[in-house]
Amino acid sequence: MSLILDGTNGVTFNDSSLQPAAASPYVLKNKLINGAMMIDQRANGASTTVTSANYYSCDRWYTDMSQASKYSVQQNAGGVTPPAGFTNYLGITSLASTTVGASDYFNIYQGIEGFNTADLDFGKSTAKTVTLSFWIRSSLTGTFGGSLKNNANNRSYPFSYTISSANTWTQISITIAGDTTGTWIGATNGLGIGLNLSLGCGSTYSGTAGAWAGANYIQPTGATSVVGTNGATFYITGVQLEIGTSATPFERRLYNQELANCQRYYENIGSDFSGNTEGSTLYTFQIQLLQTMRVAPTCTLRTGFYFNARYAGTDINILNPSLSILNVDSTGLWAYVSSSGLTSNYPIVGRHQNYSGGISLSDFIAASSEL
Amino acid sequence: MYKQVKNTDGTISLNIIKRDIDNAFIPFDPANTDYQQYLAWLAEGNTPEPADEVV
Repeated sequence: MSLILDGTNGVTFNDSSLQPAAASPYVLKNKLINGAMMIDQRANGASTTVTSANYYSCDRWYTDMSQASKYSVQQNAGGVTPPAGFTNYLGITSLASTTVGASDYFNIYQGIEGFNTADLDFGKSTAKTVTLSFWIRSSLTGTFGGSLKNNANNRSYPFSYTISSANTWTQISITIAGDTTGTWIGATNGLGIGLNLSLGCGSTYSGTAGAWAGANYIQPTGATSVVGTNGATFYITGVQLEIGTSATPFERRLYNQELANCQRYYENIGSDFSGNTEGSTLYTFQIQLLQTMRVAPTCTLRTGFYFNARYAGTDINILNPSLSILNVDSTGLWAYVSSSGLTSNYPIVGRHQNYSGGISLSDFIAASSEL
Repeated sequence: MYKQVKNTDGTISLNIIKRDIDNAFIPFDPANTDYQQYLAWLAEGNTPEPADEVV
């Protein structure tokens, strides 16, 4: 492997990609999380027809739409071989030949937290140039697009890219000069930068490619509509957004590291808990979150699970328990489950289990703090 | 759309609201996007339903 070291330009690899000196480290350079699509806590590889806004398939990547049931999303949809070096991809399949109206939008999206984008200096004269790269495969050919946008949805940069060969993995690289104007969130837990990958948008969300605009554009004008063709496929992986003027090799992360990154925004929790009985009808207990989350998370009870607790020397099992959350912050929560005939102030320890052809340990609360 | 949540002592929670459509418990954290949507819903003149009784 040839390697050129240059004190001014940095490191040039044998594929001509450039690693700028100091500006972008070889590791911890990708502003995106789960760019290799290997974490899928919610769907666990299942296909879902997107019927509601902001549906998450692979972690951190949500799919959005203005018309329901026009496409499905699934990790490794279609079962094609991923690009070399990758195991997973995010797959979209169009379920209809949808006419995209002026105000329609269909897109894939990831929001990047301000703490992780503040160094880009967007909104300042010192704004840094960034490069977006990814592997893409579609049954369609043509010009496709997406955008970067700010938190207030009043600054965006539509970009375009070309897929020349159908059903062939193609690596795309797009370099974007940072926005020197507009309001961009700095080092906070709010939305720093949003990345859109369009599946088809109307004129309201389409603008001139290759220029910053004071508008909420999702794609460049005239981009190919994936949802416009019934059965069309759109697969993507290896998504990276980094400082610099050219794409460098994808940043590999250990599975546990990427899972922890994702768990700042979504966790399945509750396999173990401890607490006590309160009065004759309530089990109250605490659960610690696996990672400190971005904010106090929204908590949803997953169904089909048993609440299994050890109480006063006896195992109790409650299917689909009546649960209420009393308090939650970014590190843990306090909740109760209703029961009857209890003696107050007994300690309990518990595990939550899934009963489906046998009992297995599982998590029963979904905690989300997505952007 | 939304329902109040009761504490174990029967008082109304000042920290949590429940969303009807998916029974999600939403904390009153200004940076939580679901809470931001709840505030927008309130701003439209809506009010949450009373809480269920603690069993």
